[in-house]
Amino acid sequence: MSDASPNTARPVSRSLHHVDARTKRRNAAETRFKALGIGAIAVGITFLVILLSTIFMNGASAFEQSFLRVPVHLDAAKLDKKGNRDPADLKKATTFTYAPLIQQGLLDAVQKAGIETPLTKSGDMKNLISSSAAAQLRDRVLANPDLVGQTVTAEILASSRVDGYLKGRVKRDQVAQDKNISVEQLDLADALLKAGILHKSFNWDFIFGADASDSRAEQAGIGIAMLGSFYMMLVVLVLSLPIGVAASIYLEEFAPKNRFTDLIEVNISNLAAVPSIVFGILGLAIFIQFAHLPQSAPLVGGLVLTLMTLPTIIISTRAALKAVPPSIRDAALGVGASKMQAVFHHVLPLAMPGILTGTIIGLAQALGETAPLLLIGMVGFIATNTPDGFWDGFVSPNSAMPAQIYEWAKRADPAFYERAWGGIIILLVFLLGMNIIAVVLRRKFERRW
Amino acid sequence: MNDMSFTERAVANTETKITARGVQVYYGENHAIKDVDVDILDKTVTAFIGPSGCGKSTFLRCLNRMNDTIDIARIEGEILLDGEDIYDKRVDPVQLRAKVGMVFQKPNPFPKSIYDNVAYGPKIHGLTRSRAELEEVVESALRKAALWNEVKDRLHAPGTGLSGGQQQRLCIARAIATSPEVLLMDEPCSALDPIATAQVEELIDELRANFSVVIVTHSMQQAARVSQKTAFFHLGHLVEYDDTDKIFTNPSDPRTESYITGRIG
Amino acid sequence: MSEHILSAFDRDLEAVQALVVKMGGLVEEQILESARALEERDPDLAQQVRDQDKTVDALEERINDEAARLIALRAPAARDLRMTLSVIKISASLERVGDYAKNIAKRSQVLSDGPQINGTAAAIRRMASAVESMLKDALDAYIQRDADLAHDVRGRDIEVDQMYNALFREFLTYMMEDPRNITPCMHLHFIAKNIERMGDHATSIAEQVIYLVTGEMPEESRPKSSSVVKTEA
Repeated sequence: MSDASPNTARPVSRSLHHVDARTKRRNAAETRFKALGIGAIAVGITFLVILLSTIFMNGASAFEQSFLRVPVHLDAAKLDKKGNRDPADLKKATTFTYAPLIQQGLLDAVQKAGIETPLTKSGDMKNLISSSAAAQLRDRVLANPDLVGQTVTAEILASSRVDGYLKGRVKRDQVAQDKNISVEQLDLADALLKAGILHKSFNWDFIFGADASDSRAEQAGIGIAMLGSFYMMLVVLVLSLPIGVAASIYLEEFAPKNRFTDLIEVNISNLAAVPSIVFGILGLAIFIQFAHLPQSAPLVGGLVLTLMTLPTIIISTRAALKAVPPSIRDAALGVGASKMQAVFHHVLPLAMPGILTGTIIGLAQALGETAPLLLIGMVGFIATNTPDGFWDGFVSPNSAMPAQIYEWAKRADPAFYERAWGGIIILLVFLLGMNIIAVVLRRKFERRW
Repeated sequence: MNDMSFTERAVANTETKITARGVQVYYGENHAIKDVDVDILDKTVTAFIGPSGCGKSTFLRCLNRMNDTIDIARIEGEILLDGEDIYDKRVDPVQLRAKVGMVFQKPNPFPKSIYDNVAYGPKIHGLTRSRAELEEVVESALRKAALWNEVKDRLHAPGTGLSGGQQQRLCIARAIATSPEVLLMDEPCSALDPIATAQVEELIDELRANFSVVIVTHSMQQAARVSQKTAFFHLGHLVEYDDTDKIFTNPSDPRTESYITGRIG
Repeated sequence: MSEHILSAFDRDLEAVQALVVKMGGLVEEQILESARALEERDPDLAQQVRDQDKTVDALEERINDEAARLIALRAPAARDLRMTLSVIKISASLERVGDYAKNIAKRSQVLSDGPQINGTAAAIRRMASAVESMLKDALDAYIQRDADLAHDVRGRDIEVDQMYNALFREFLTYMMEDPRNITPCMHLHFIAKNIERMGDHATSIAEQVIYLVTGEMPEESRPKSSSVVKTEA
């Protein structure tokens, strides 16, 4: 009974092969938009490449260091006047006793190699050798008193000027006013390089060593600061993950929706945008001045960074919880699970990838944070070496990687400049590692979906 | 098939399972359910039909207090399950929901194995004492849900890997594993294809032997096919509640008639 | 009752009912014509009635097809379902009435050659027009969904039954008077019986109307004259 079909007039159909003006305009607009997008991405990538290559070019040299291979005669007459190899007596010989021995050893090596040089006194060798070389040799002797009286071949740190010369940082025409090095000494360095006495090798001390004073750039390392960062991250992780996740679960799943909880929500969002230096002031006021926790301690740094990370973790955890389909909650409640069982058995496992990603991003942010550390004294020259034992690491004064980088960057000696760039490379490697962990964890947990 | 008799359409049981008296539901300012009285019979399939937003799902969710999870929902009146007021202060909704199971519109198996899906309810309610007993419960629930033969070889495969109809039957198995007395179904077939729908409908008809089943459906044909009693909701009112045969051949209220014949209100 | 949301459903329902009304008109005509053919001893008119039955049969088939299509495609419920079911039943009844009219026409062709039985043809025509008016009213009740009119039609069947009984006695008398009357009287009796059956079908149509309107078949047994005439010989 469909005899009453409406017979409205259709517009005249045109060929599909003919593209009309309107369609052309729309297509052109689309093409323009795509081109803009590609352009934006290209600019971004260009800057990223420039940034990374700059960092790498400036920082790569920090991972190499110049060493002198010098046979040093450990003169028993000078080091152990009593001759009984008593460690207590050996300690009386200071670095000032060792320095001339090393200088003499280098001079001997120079003469033995038959290098012609106007420098013929052992004192002339001083500027070629790092001032920390003597301390290192002394440590070695104290650890093994039997070495006294023997001639040992030591890998002696070259001075930062020599190191800089080899790396092209120190130019011959600049040394005229430099009292720390002379042209003759640079000539000698060239000759030593040729003779194989001076050589460059991978700088493990940069990665694992401690910072050094202004005059010993060649010895400065980021290792202790790395340890400081590690302790801080430990504090942040242990505190902010449970607190943040618990707070988010409560807010998202249990809290009644009223003005008070709205206020809390707004404030959490605002906290995420508070400048980090404000958290530093807070930490200084509360943890150090009020609670009297030790200054410069990773524990305090961790606490401050926890405060800073919490909003990030709460926001991302809540987003992850929100993303779990409500049908899962219904299903759990429908079979008679309590609210808590529904959340912990079903919602939380599903939200886990999102929570972990948020947490790791929060940690990565905290890892790169400098400003709040300035205020709680976690920046500066770290004389202390490795902390005594695991727990001591939390309270013994330390720095953190970004603070260490900041510290190097502001020092006068350009030798620290490459250290700063090198530190940035290490920091970036850590951040990359954390992001990879985030991706891996995400994949692993998502498989259960 | 016994061609000597028609399917037993008549209501076999007259024992009341759920009694609702003067039920009012408010969502904030919105008066969603207006003064509903209804007696839901045991071992009977009762269908709730009505246009969207008529309150049928809302009323269904009152029957196992799923509305408790919505902050702004407020319920007045009384709903008695076997003579006990389920909104009494002494009643814990968790216990109630073990007695009044629910199946939802979209199949929503947990992202776990088939076995874990079914075993979850008995586990949290402590219904079984040993692993062997639990396995028995799982098997019997899957059998009752007409799913056992399809999944017995892959009990530890994820439940989300099943087809839509299988997932819905898995959800039914999950609901009946806690041995409830009433089974609420909120449009259980709306996301399924006709074959899967037919399978679930067949299952609902079988479940009638053991449970009181209440089903909300948008498909009047489905209500006609599976239910013995039908309630028609309109704008929050329960307009008509009667035997399904009566509703679909000769409804008493013109609003019911307009709705089921597809006329403009 | 307002319109369906799906207007094609309304169109289908109206179309199938229009077919029923058309069929009813044809059948009414058949009744009257066949009675006239008998009274006027007009074999050509009788032939016309016989030919018309083919159209009626075709219409019934068409109505059945349309009703089946409606059930399959539109899944009618409640009033629509009852309407669809009643359409099938009414068309079946009408078809039977048409068959009876055809049978009357056939017998009237036979009778037109034989001797005339005084007055009976006119009585039969009166009976036929009574049945025709019942059928007309039943169909009017159907069109107007008028249960009261349908009840009225149901009540009128008793008159037709009484007319039949009177004729039956008359035929008996004629046959006893003269055995040569037996053949025409037997034919006439069958004709009267056919008309009486038509009345039953009209009643059944009226009952369908009542079912359609109220949703229930009338329960109390319809009024009947004292069953079959006792053969008090």
